Amino acid sequence: MSEPRQAVSGAFVLLQVGDGRVALPAEIVSELAPPVRLHSFPHSSRFITGVIVRRGRIVPVYDANSVLTRKNSSPQRFYLIAQRRVGKVAEMGAIPVNGECELVSAEMRPPGGERPAYVAGTIAVGEQLLEVLDLEAFIASNSTRDDDSHATQVQS
Amino acid sequence: MTSTPETGAKSRLTSGHETVILFFVARQMFAIAADSVQEIRSTDSLAGSANEMEQSEVPKVRHTIERNRRTYFVVNAGVHFSLPVTRPALVLILRELRVALLVDRIERMAEISAVYALPQAFSGAERRWYRGLAYVDDVVIPVVQPAGFLTLEEFQQLDQIEIAAGHQVKEAAPV
Repeated sequence: MSEPRQAVSGAFVLLQVGDGRVALPAEIVSELAPPVRLHSFPHSSRFITGVIVRRGRIVPVYDANSVLTRKNSSPQRFYLIAQRRVGKVAEMGAIPVNGECELVSAEMRPPGGERPAYVAGTIAVGEQLLEVLDLEAFIASNSTRDDDSHATQVQS
Repeated sequence: MTSTPETGAKSRLTSGHETVILFFVARQMFAIAADSVQEIRSTDSLAGSANEMEQSEVPKVRHTIERNRRTYFVVNAGVHFSLPVTRPALVLILRELRVALLVDRIERMAEISAVYALPQAFSGAERRWYRGLAYVDDVVIPVVQPAGFLTLEEFQQLDQIEIAAGHQVKEAAPV
Protein backbone atom coordinates (compact mmCIF):
# COMPACT_ATOMS: atom_id res chain seq x y z
CA MET A 1 0.00 0.00 0.00
CA SER A 2 1.56 3.30 -1.01
CA GLU A 3 0.98 6.59 0.66
CA PRO A 4 -1.68 8.63 -1.14
CA ARG A 5 -0.68 12.05 -2.46
CA GLN A 6 -4.30 13.06 -2.64
CA ALA A 7 -7.58 11.87 -1.20
CA VAL A 8 -8.53 8.31 -2.17
CA SER A 9 -12.02 6.94 -1.68
CA GLY A 10 -12.45 3.42 -0.43
CA ALA A 11 -13.90 1.05 2.11
CA PHE A 12 -12.23 0.68 5.46
CA VAL A 13 -12.68 -1.56 8.45
CA LEU A 14 -12.50 0.31 11.73
CA LEU A 15 -11.22 -1.71 14.62
CA GLN A 16 -10.63 -1.16 18.27
CA VAL A 17 -7.16 -2.31 19.26
CA GLY A 18 -6.62 -1.92 22.98
CA ASP A 19 -7.67 1.61 23.79
CA GLY A 20 -7.12 2.94 20.27
CA ARG A 21 -9.14 2.93 17.09
CA VAL A 22 -7.51 2.44 13.70
CA ALA A 23 -8.59 1.56 10.18
CA LEU A 24 -7.52 -1.06 7.67
CA PRO A 25 -8.36 -1.09 3.97
CA ALA A 26 -11.33 -3.45 3.63
CA GLU A 27 -9.84 -5.28 0.65
CA ILE A 28 -7.19 -6.97 2.80
CA VAL A 29 -9.56 -7.99 5.60
CA SER A 30 -10.84 -11.56 5.42
CA GLU A 31 -12.98 -11.92 8.50
CA LEU A 32 -13.53 -11.17 12.14
CA ALA A 33 -12.90 -14.45 13.93
CA PRO A 34 -14.43 -15.27 17.31
CA PRO A 35 -12.27 -15.80 20.39
CA VAL A 36 -10.33 -18.99 19.82
CA ARG A 37 -7.42 -20.55 21.58
CA LEU A 38 -4.06 -18.87 21.13
CA HIS A 39 -1.39 -21.52 20.73
CA SER A 40 2.12 -20.55 21.70
CA PHE A 41 5.49 -22.21 21.40
CA PRO A 42 9.09 -21.04 21.62
CA HIS A 43 10.23 -18.79 18.81
CA SER A 44 12.45 -15.78 18.30
CA SER A 45 10.31 -13.67 15.99
CA ARG A 46 9.39 -10.37 17.53
CA PHE A 47 5.86 -9.07 17.38
CA ILE A 48 4.25 -12.53 17.16
CA THR A 49 2.37 -13.90 20.15
CA GLY A 50 1.47 -17.31 18.74
CA VAL A 51 -0.92 -18.85 16.27
CA ILE A 52 -4.63 -19.55 16.00
CA VAL A 53 -6.34 -22.20 13.93
CA ARG A 54 -9.04 -20.85 11.67
CA ARG A 55 -10.83 -22.82 8.95
CA GLY A 56 -8.10 -25.42 8.93
CA ARG A 57 -5.33 -22.86 8.58
CA ILE A 58 -2.64 -21.97 11.07
CA VAL A 59 -2.65 -18.19 11.31
CA PRO A 60 0.10 -16.18 13.07
CA VAL A 61 -1.10 -13.59 15.58
CA TYR A 62 0.58 -10.19 15.64
CA ASP A 63 0.83 -8.32 18.90
CA ALA A 64 -0.53 -5.04 17.57
CA ASN A 65 -1.67 -3.97 21.02
CA SER A 66 1.85 -3.64 22.33
CA VAL A 67 2.64 -1.10 19.63
CA LEU A 68 -0.62 0.78 19.38
CA THR A 69 -1.56 0.98 23.03
CA ARG A 70 1.49 -0.15 25.03
CA LYS A 71 -0.70 -2.75 26.70
CA ASN A 72 -0.32 -6.51 26.56
CA SER A 73 -3.00 -8.28 24.62
CA SER A 74 -5.45 -10.40 26.52
CA PRO A 75 -5.76 -14.03 25.42
CA GLN A 76 -9.55 -13.82 25.22
CA ARG A 77 -10.05 -11.66 22.17
CA PHE A 78 -11.59 -11.65 18.76
CA TYR A 79 -9.18 -11.74 15.86
CA LEU A 80 -9.28 -9.64 12.75
CA ILE A 81 -7.81 -11.79 10.00
CA ALA A 82 -6.18 -10.01 7.11
CA GLN A 83 -4.15 -11.05 4.13
CA ARG A 84 -0.57 -9.95 3.78
CA ARG A 85 2.39 -10.77 1.60
CA VAL A 86 5.56 -12.27 3.03
CA GLY A 87 8.00 -12.11 0.17
CA LYS A 88 6.19 -13.76 -2.72
CA VAL A 89 3.83 -15.67 -0.46
CA ALA A 90 0.36 -14.48 0.51
CA GLU A 91 -0.40 -15.36 4.10
CA MET A 92 -3.13 -14.70 6.59
CA GLY A 93 -2.29 -12.83 9.75
CA ALA A 94 -4.42 -12.09 12.80
CA ILE A 95 -4.62 -9.02 15.00
CA PRO A 96 -6.35 -9.29 18.39
CA VAL A 97 -9.28 -6.90 18.58
CA ASN A 98 -12.13 -6.44 21.00
CA GLY A 99 -14.81 -7.44 18.52
CA GLU A 100 -16.10 -3.98 17.69
CA CYS A 101 -15.52 -3.56 13.99
CA GLU A 102 -17.27 -1.29 11.56
CA LEU A 103 -17.18 -1.06 7.78
CA VAL A 104 -17.18 2.51 6.46
CA SER A 105 -16.68 4.28 3.17
CA ALA A 106 -14.39 7.24 3.46
CA GLU A 107 -11.79 9.34 1.76
CA MET A 108 -8.25 8.62 2.84
CA ARG A 109 -6.05 11.66 2.95
CA PRO A 110 -2.24 11.78 3.12
CA PRO A 111 -1.05 11.28 6.71
CA GLY A 112 0.73 14.60 7.08
CA GLY A 113 2.66 15.63 10.14
CA GLU A 114 5.15 13.32 11.77
CA ARG A 115 3.27 10.08 11.85
CA PRO A 116 4.88 6.64 11.91
CA ALA A 117 5.81 5.16 8.53
CA TYR A 118 3.11 2.51 8.89
CA VAL A 119 0.36 5.14 8.74
CA ALA A 120 -0.81 5.12 5.12
CA GLY A 121 -3.22 8.01 5.59
CA THR A 122 -6.07 9.27 7.66
CA ILE A 123 -9.84 9.09 7.33
CA ALA A 124 -12.46 11.22 9.01
CA VAL A 125 -15.16 9.26 10.80
CA GLY A 126 -17.61 11.56 12.51
CA GLU A 127 -15.48 14.00 14.40
CA GLN A 128 -12.59 11.59 14.71
CA LEU A 129 -9.54 11.46 12.48
CA LEU A 130 -8.40 7.84 12.33
CA GLU A 131 -5.12 6.48 11.08
CA VAL A 132 -5.21 3.92 8.27
CA LEU A 133 -2.62 1.21 8.86
CA ASP A 134 -0.35 0.00 6.10
CA LEU A 135 -0.28 -3.55 7.45
CA GLU A 136 2.90 -4.53 5.64
CA ALA A 137 4.80 -1.52 6.92
CA PHE A 138 3.29 -1.95 10.38
CA ILE A 139 4.49 -5.55 10.66
CA ALA A 140 7.84 -4.81 9.03
CA SER A 141 8.54 -1.93 11.38
CA ASN A 142 7.93 -4.14 14.40
CA SER A 143 9.61 -7.33 13.28
CA THR A 144 13.28 -8.16 13.22
CA ARG A 145 14.35 -10.85 10.85
CA ASP A 146 16.74 -13.57 12.03
CA ASP A 147 17.04 -12.12 15.49
CA ASP A 148 18.04 -15.22 17.44
CA SER A 149 18.68 -13.35 20.67
CA HIS A 150 15.06 -12.72 21.55
CA ALA A 151 13.50 -16.10 22.09
CA THR A 152 9.90 -15.64 23.10
CA GLN A 153 7.64 -17.90 25.07
CA VAL A 154 4.10 -16.70 25.49
CA GLN A 155 1.73 -18.64 27.67
CA SER A 156 -1.58 -19.53 26.11
CA MET B 1 -14.90 -7.77 3.64
CA THR B 2 -14.43 -11.04 1.87
CA SER B 3 -14.76 -14.44 3.38
CA THR B 4 -11.79 -16.73 3.87
CA PRO B 5 -11.73 -19.38 1.16
CA GLU B 6 -12.69 -22.76 2.54
CA THR B 7 -10.61 -24.58 0.01
CA GLY B 8 -7.12 -24.18 -1.36
CA ALA B 9 -3.67 -24.95 -0.15
CA LYS B 10 -3.44 -25.19 3.59
CA SER B 11 0.34 -25.27 3.73
CA ARG B 12 0.66 -28.95 4.44
CA LEU B 13 4.28 -29.96 4.22
CA THR B 14 3.58 -33.64 4.53
CA SER B 15 0.42 -35.65 4.61
CA GLY B 16 -0.06 -39.27 5.51
CA HIS B 17 0.17 -40.64 8.99
CA GLU B 18 3.36 -40.28 10.92
CA THR B 19 4.19 -41.51 14.38
CA VAL B 20 5.65 -38.91 16.70
CA ILE B 21 6.85 -38.84 20.26
CA LEU B 22 5.31 -36.04 22.29
CA PHE B 23 7.66 -34.72 24.92
CA PHE B 24 7.76 -31.86 27.39
CA VAL B 25 10.43 -29.31 28.17
CA ALA B 26 9.52 -26.68 30.77
CA ARG B 27 5.74 -27.26 30.35
CA GLN B 28 5.99 -26.83 26.59
CA MET B 29 5.03 -29.81 24.46
CA PHE B 30 6.97 -30.72 21.34
CA ALA B 31 6.77 -33.55 18.83
CA ILE B 32 9.62 -35.44 17.22
CA ALA B 33 9.34 -38.11 14.54
CA ALA B 34 9.54 -41.46 16.28
CA ASP B 35 11.82 -42.88 13.61
CA SER B 36 14.41 -40.19 14.27
CA VAL B 37 14.86 -41.40 17.87
CA GLN B 38 17.06 -44.42 18.44
CA GLU B 39 16.81 -44.79 22.18
CA ILE B 40 15.23 -43.17 25.23
CA ARG B 41 17.10 -43.42 28.51
CA SER B 42 16.79 -41.86 31.91
CA THR B 43 19.48 -39.35 32.82
CA ASP B 44 20.26 -41.46 35.89
CA SER B 45 21.02 -44.51 33.80
CA LEU B 46 23.51 -42.57 31.69
CA ALA B 47 25.19 -40.70 34.52
CA GLY B 48 28.08 -43.14 34.60
CA SER B 49 28.81 -42.95 30.89
CA ALA B 50 28.53 -39.18 30.48
CA ASN B 51 31.62 -37.03 30.10
CA GLU B 52 31.51 -33.41 31.12
CA MET B 53 32.62 -30.83 28.55
CA GLU B 54 34.23 -27.70 29.85
CA GLN B 55 33.43 -25.15 27.18
CA SER B 56 31.32 -22.05 26.74
CA GLU B 57 31.15 -21.83 22.95
CA VAL B 58 28.00 -23.94 22.75
CA PRO B 59 26.30 -23.45 26.13
CA LYS B 60 23.48 -25.90 25.44
CA VAL B 61 25.99 -28.76 25.35
CA ARG B 62 27.61 -29.71 28.66
CA HIS B 63 28.18 -33.45 28.23
CA THR B 64 28.95 -36.17 25.77
CA ILE B 65 27.86 -39.77 26.02
CA GLU B 66 29.20 -42.87 24.34
CA ARG B 67 26.67 -45.21 22.78
CA ASN B 68 27.40 -47.99 20.34
CA ARG B 69 30.94 -46.73 19.74
CA ARG B 70 29.69 -43.24 18.87
CA THR B 71 30.16 -39.97 20.70
CA TYR B 72 26.91 -38.05 21.13
CA PHE B 73 26.72 -34.40 22.14
CA VAL B 74 24.05 -33.95 24.79
CA VAL B 75 21.91 -30.91 23.99
CA ASN B 76 19.81 -29.39 26.76
CA ALA B 77 16.51 -28.75 24.97
CA GLY B 78 15.52 -26.09 27.48
CA VAL B 79 18.60 -24.02 26.72
CA HIS B 80 18.20 -24.66 23.00
CA PHE B 81 14.65 -23.27 23.00
CA SER B 82 15.41 -20.54 25.59
CA LEU B 83 12.92 -22.04 28.04
CA PRO B 84 13.08 -21.75 31.83
CA VAL B 85 15.61 -23.99 33.51
CA THR B 86 14.28 -27.41 34.50
CA ARG B 87 15.74 -30.69 35.68
CA PRO B 88 15.62 -33.02 32.67
CA ALA B 89 14.89 -36.64 33.48
CA LEU B 90 15.20 -38.27 30.05
CA VAL B 91 17.63 -38.39 27.17
CA LEU B 92 16.46 -38.95 23.60
CA ILE B 93 19.33 -40.39 21.62
CA LEU B 94 18.78 -39.48 18.00
CA ARG B 95 19.22 -41.95 15.21
CA GLU B 96 21.28 -40.43 12.42
CA LEU B 97 22.86 -37.53 14.23
CA ARG B 98 25.42 -37.43 17.00
CA VAL B 99 22.91 -35.64 19.21
CA ALA B 100 21.25 -36.71 22.43
CA LEU B 101 18.49 -34.48 23.73
CA LEU B 102 17.77 -33.73 27.37
CA VAL B 103 14.02 -33.40 27.97
CA ASP B 104 11.78 -33.33 31.03
CA ARG B 105 9.38 -36.16 30.22
CA ILE B 106 7.68 -38.10 27.49
CA GLU B 107 3.95 -37.56 27.22
CA ARG B 108 3.09 -40.36 24.80
CA MET B 109 3.35 -41.41 21.20
CA ALA B 110 0.79 -40.13 18.73
CA GLU B 111 -0.20 -40.42 15.10
CA ILE B 112 -0.32 -37.15 13.21
CA SER B 113 -1.93 -36.83 9.82
CA ALA B 114 0.01 -33.81 8.57
CA VAL B 115 2.82 -31.42 9.31
CA TYR B 116 1.86 -27.86 8.45
CA ALA B 117 4.45 -25.37 7.28
CA LEU B 118 5.52 -22.80 9.80
CA PRO B 119 3.89 -19.52 8.70
CA GLN B 120 6.33 -17.24 6.91
CA ALA B 121 5.69 -14.63 9.59
CA PHE B 122 8.04 -16.66 11.77
CA SER B 123 11.43 -15.56 10.57
CA GLY B 124 13.86 -16.33 13.37
CA ALA B 125 15.73 -19.36 14.65
CA GLU B 126 12.47 -21.31 14.82
CA ARG B 127 12.71 -21.87 11.07
CA ARG B 128 15.77 -23.99 11.83
CA TRP B 129 14.29 -25.55 14.98
CA TYR B 130 11.04 -26.86 13.52
CA ARG B 131 9.99 -29.01 10.58
CA GLY B 132 6.56 -27.47 10.95
CA LEU B 133 3.51 -27.59 13.16
CA ALA B 134 1.14 -30.42 13.97
CA TYR B 135 -2.36 -30.37 15.35
CA VAL B 136 -2.77 -32.94 18.11
CA ASP B 137 -5.89 -33.09 20.26
CA ASP B 138 -6.81 -29.49 19.43
CA VAL B 139 -3.36 -28.22 20.31
CA VAL B 140 -0.80 -26.84 17.85
CA ILE B 141 2.56 -28.43 18.60
CA PRO B 142 5.89 -27.67 16.98
CA VAL B 143 7.48 -30.68 15.28
CA VAL B 144 11.18 -30.40 15.92
CA GLN B 145 13.79 -30.69 13.23
CA PRO B 146 16.41 -33.17 14.51
CA ALA B 147 19.11 -31.54 12.39
CA GLY B 148 18.26 -28.18 13.95
CA PHE B 149 19.69 -28.88 17.38
CA LEU B 150 23.29 -28.33 16.36
CA THR B 151 24.57 -26.54 13.30
CA LEU B 152 27.48 -27.88 11.29
CA GLU B 153 29.64 -25.12 12.78
CA GLU B 154 28.62 -26.16 16.30
CA PHE B 155 29.48 -29.79 15.53
CA GLN B 156 32.89 -28.69 14.29
CA GLN B 157 33.46 -26.52 17.36
CA LEU B 158 32.47 -29.33 19.70
CA ASP B 159 34.61 -31.87 17.84
CA GLN B 160 37.62 -29.57 18.13
CA ILE B 161 36.99 -29.07 21.85
CA GLU B 162 36.79 -32.82 22.35
CA ILE B 163 40.00 -33.40 20.42
CA ALA B 164 41.76 -30.59 22.29
CA ALA B 165 40.68 -32.21 25.56
CA GLY B 166 42.33 -35.42 24.46
CA HIS B 167 39.10 -37.30 23.84
CA GLN B 168 38.64 -39.38 20.75
CA VAL B 169 35.57 -38.31 18.81
CA LYS B 170 34.07 -41.56 17.64
CA GLU B 171 32.41 -41.78 14.26
CA ALA B 172 32.90 -38.14 13.41
CA ALA B 173 30.99 -38.49 10.15
CA PRO B 174 28.12 -38.29 9.51
CA VAL B 175 27.30 -35.52 11.92
